[in-house]
Amino acid sequence: MRTVLTILTSTRSLLTVLTLATFVFVLSVWLPNLRLLFLVWTDASVSFGDKIALPMSLLPSIATNFTLLSASYTIAIALLAGINAALTVHLIKTRRRIGGSAVIGASGIFAGAFGVGCAACGPLILTSLIGTVGGISVLAILPLRGGELGIIGVALLGYSMYLLAKQITKPLVCEPTSIEL
Amino acid sequence: MEPEAKQSNLLIPGAIVVAGALIAGALYMSNAPRGATANAGQQLELPTGDLEQMKPISSDDHIRGNPDAKVTIVEYSDFECPFCKAFHPTLQQAMQEYGNDIAWVYRQFPLDQLHSKARKEAIASECAAELGGNDAFWKFTDRFFELTPSNDKTDIGSVLPRIAKEIGLDTAKFASCLASTKYDAHIEDNVQNATVTGGNGTPWSIVVTQSGKKYPLSGAQPYEAVKQLIDLALKDN
Repeated sequence: MRTVLTILTSTRSLLTVLTLATFVFVLSVWLPNLRLLFLVWTDASVSFGDKIALPMSLLPSIATNFTLLSASYTIAIALLAGINAALTVHLIKTRRRIGGSAVIGASGIFAGAFGVGCAACGPLILTSLIGTVGGISVLAILPLRGGELGIIGVALLGYSMYLLAKQITKPLVCEPTSIEL
Repeated sequence: MEPEAKQSNLLIPGAIVVAGALIAGALYMSNAPRGATANAGQQLELPTGDLEQMKPISSDDHIRGNPDAKVTIVEYSDFECPFCKAFHPTLQQAMQEYGNDIAWVYRQFPLDQLHSKARKEAIASECAAELGGNDAFWKFTDRFFELTPSNDKTDIGSVLPRIAKEIGLDTAKFASCLASTKYDAHIEDNVQNATVTGGNGTPWSIVVTQSGKKYPLSGAQPYEAVKQLIDLALKDN
């Protein structure tokens, strides 16, 4: 565990964690309004100041457009994705095998992304992909109204982080695939 | 190492199966018929997300503020959605700050699958408008969001007549209107329109500038974001 903490507190790893966590968080918060942002960013008549100010003003919607649960797992997914990325970079640099943890981590981000959004009134990726009726019908049968996907995402990312940490702390030895007696 | 490898190998397909099952379930449900309130033979169109399909603002709409304002915010809302409840004071604040420069149009978007009481409440608001005019509609809406807890926890049997009485409506006529089906088509029309313009949750808003340019705004955004968007829309003349 100490090895993993040492890796994560290095300047380069911290930068990776912060960059990816910020990217995932900002994307999650903007997700409901990507269409608006696209319209504003591609409109030549909108000033540069407005092109920056509007997206920035949407960021506090983590407090107004998310439930406590969805805000919590959105922040957790962002941080865990950042940590996973930093550990993966370290593994690549030390030329160790990443194994299945990358797939689990990616599944975590994928599952979490489906749960991101306004939990009570339609998570946005889910409803955008399968249409209002289908998306909302699925929510209606889920006790946490889609929050389950976010929780699954956090769990998968947590497990992926555990696998990466294990891989990092594993001593570098030659392992025979099978031992013949 | 072998049991761990096996465990890890099982988790990956497991995650894929769970995700696949959720998507398959969603697709199955998307082909299922709508809730009990949908009219027979009517199918909800999938969202095309075309803002230009927004139904033009007319005298049938519930308009707060100056109908000739430079900027109009068309909100598609659900009376039981907690985010609509949270967004209501945000738009009230905008109306206070911008005065005659903006108008607020309220359209119905009850999400029956999540909030079984929302459609009845939408009918109640239409009845308030019928019996007391545009002012009564807004008084009803303001009071409703103020009084009720959202998420289908409203006791509509007592709250709706209470608000009707408070805002001075004829309670007998209100009850009779509420029991009728006269606003079913109007509400369904609003729902369809929200969906074709790209609404896939509530609150769903479209900010319309004087030149007709439309900006979509999804969710209960903070006041600062609404203000930024209004300011941007006001620059478009």
